[in-house]
Parts: sequence; structure tokens; C-alpha cells
Amino acid sequence: MNPDEVSRAFVEHYYSTFDSNRAALANLYQEGSMLTFEGQKIQGSQNIVAKLTSLPFQQCKHAITTVDCQPSGPAGGMLVFVSGNLQLAGEQHALKFSQMFHLIPSPQGSFYVLNDIFRLNYA
Amino acid sequence: MDPDQLSRAFVEHYYSAFDANRAGLGILYQDESMLTFEGQKIQGSQNIVAKLTSLPFQQCQHSITTVDCQPSGPAGGMLVFVSGNLQLAGEQHALKFSQGFEVRSD
Repeated sequence: MNPDEVSRAFVEHYYSTFDSNRAALANLYQEGSMLTFEGQKIQGSQNIVAKLTSLPFQQCKHAITTVDCQPSGPAGGMLVFVSGNLQLAGEQHALKFSQMFHLIPSPQGSFYVLNDIFRLNYA
Repeated sequence: MDPDQLSRAFVEHYYSAFDANRAGLGILYQDESMLTFEGQKIQGSQNIVAKLTSLPFQQCQHSITTVDCQPSGPAGGMLVFVSGNLQLAGEQHALKFSQGFEVRSD
């Protein structure tokens, strides 16, 4: 797979996991991983998953509009830049968001998220 | 300066350079730098500056709403994630944008 295909596959996997079972996102982060969620800084897979599973909604659905990626650094890392819509169950209007990931290859041949920055885009 | 101050200083510098004199952005990029602009992939400082100086407006003003940063790994870089508004001269409404940078010291 070329980098664009790899990043699209990662994005597909990330958001379908998020939307069906947020606790399972733990596999995608490690101890040194960092999430900045609407300005709040969180480090480490456990703390990141604690934050994501405590968000104030039961169900959500991400619909991705754009995915851009670039190689990052000599070790096969990738920057992935996503924009899309986030529909919360029971809300009339979807929220718009942008998110940036820095993916690092794992020994098992997949990727984990080292850096994750999430922002809602307000009108 | 702590990383948050550094990233805010970088962002301030980047967008004021962009708004005042896009050709001057050349010093912020190198040969291996990559820009993806609205899906179009461009590599190298010269090509990047050629793209930015050829954008179809004379004057613009960026106003920055949010700046987030994180260290990006052992090579000492920083990820900087920006959102804001872009006002083009003569247009009634500002455009909203988001931009992600990976910044390295040279």
C-alpha cells in the first residue's frame, strides 16, 4: 500500500473503532502518546482512553471529508490530517472537526498514534 | 521559551510573513519540505514559495483562533496545529482554515 492508502486505512480503522467501541482505541496508543483534545493535554494510552470514554455522549458517528498525509522523518512515520463531521446521537446538527495524527510504525507492522490533536471547528 | 511559547512565536511569525510578503517564506522551508495545499502536494522550498506566491489574491490577513503543539518524537521536532480565519481583500466573508505544521530546528 502506498502512504495515501495506508493513511486512509488507518483513518477508516480509527474512526470506526471510535464510533463502535472507544475503549478499544487503547491498542492504538502507547505510554509516550500524547492527545490534545480541545486544548486539554493528556499523555499515555490509559489516560487518553479514559478521556475519550468519558466524553459526554453514548453514541457518535464520524463522517470523514478530507484525509491528507505526508511522510514524517527517517523512521517511516506519517502525518495524517483529517477533517470531517461528528454527529452525536440526539443532536440536530453535526459538529465539524479537524484532527492531526502522527503515526509511528510498530514492530508488528501496523502503526500507533504518537501525537493526536483534535479541534472542533466552530462557525 | 517553553514549547507552547515557541509554537505561538512561530505561528505569529509565519502568518505575519505570509500576510506581508509571501516570497519571504522561502527561508522557513528547505529542500525536503512538503506542503499539501488543498490536496495538492508540493515539495521543496522553491516550489512551495512558487505555489504560495501564485495564489489568486494580492492581499490577505490571517487571524488565528487556536494553536496547539506537541513534541513530535526523538528528532526534536514540534507539531503545531492551527485554526483560524483568512480574510481576502475585497471578499465579504472570511474563509475558515486549519493547518498542521511539523517544525524542526535547523
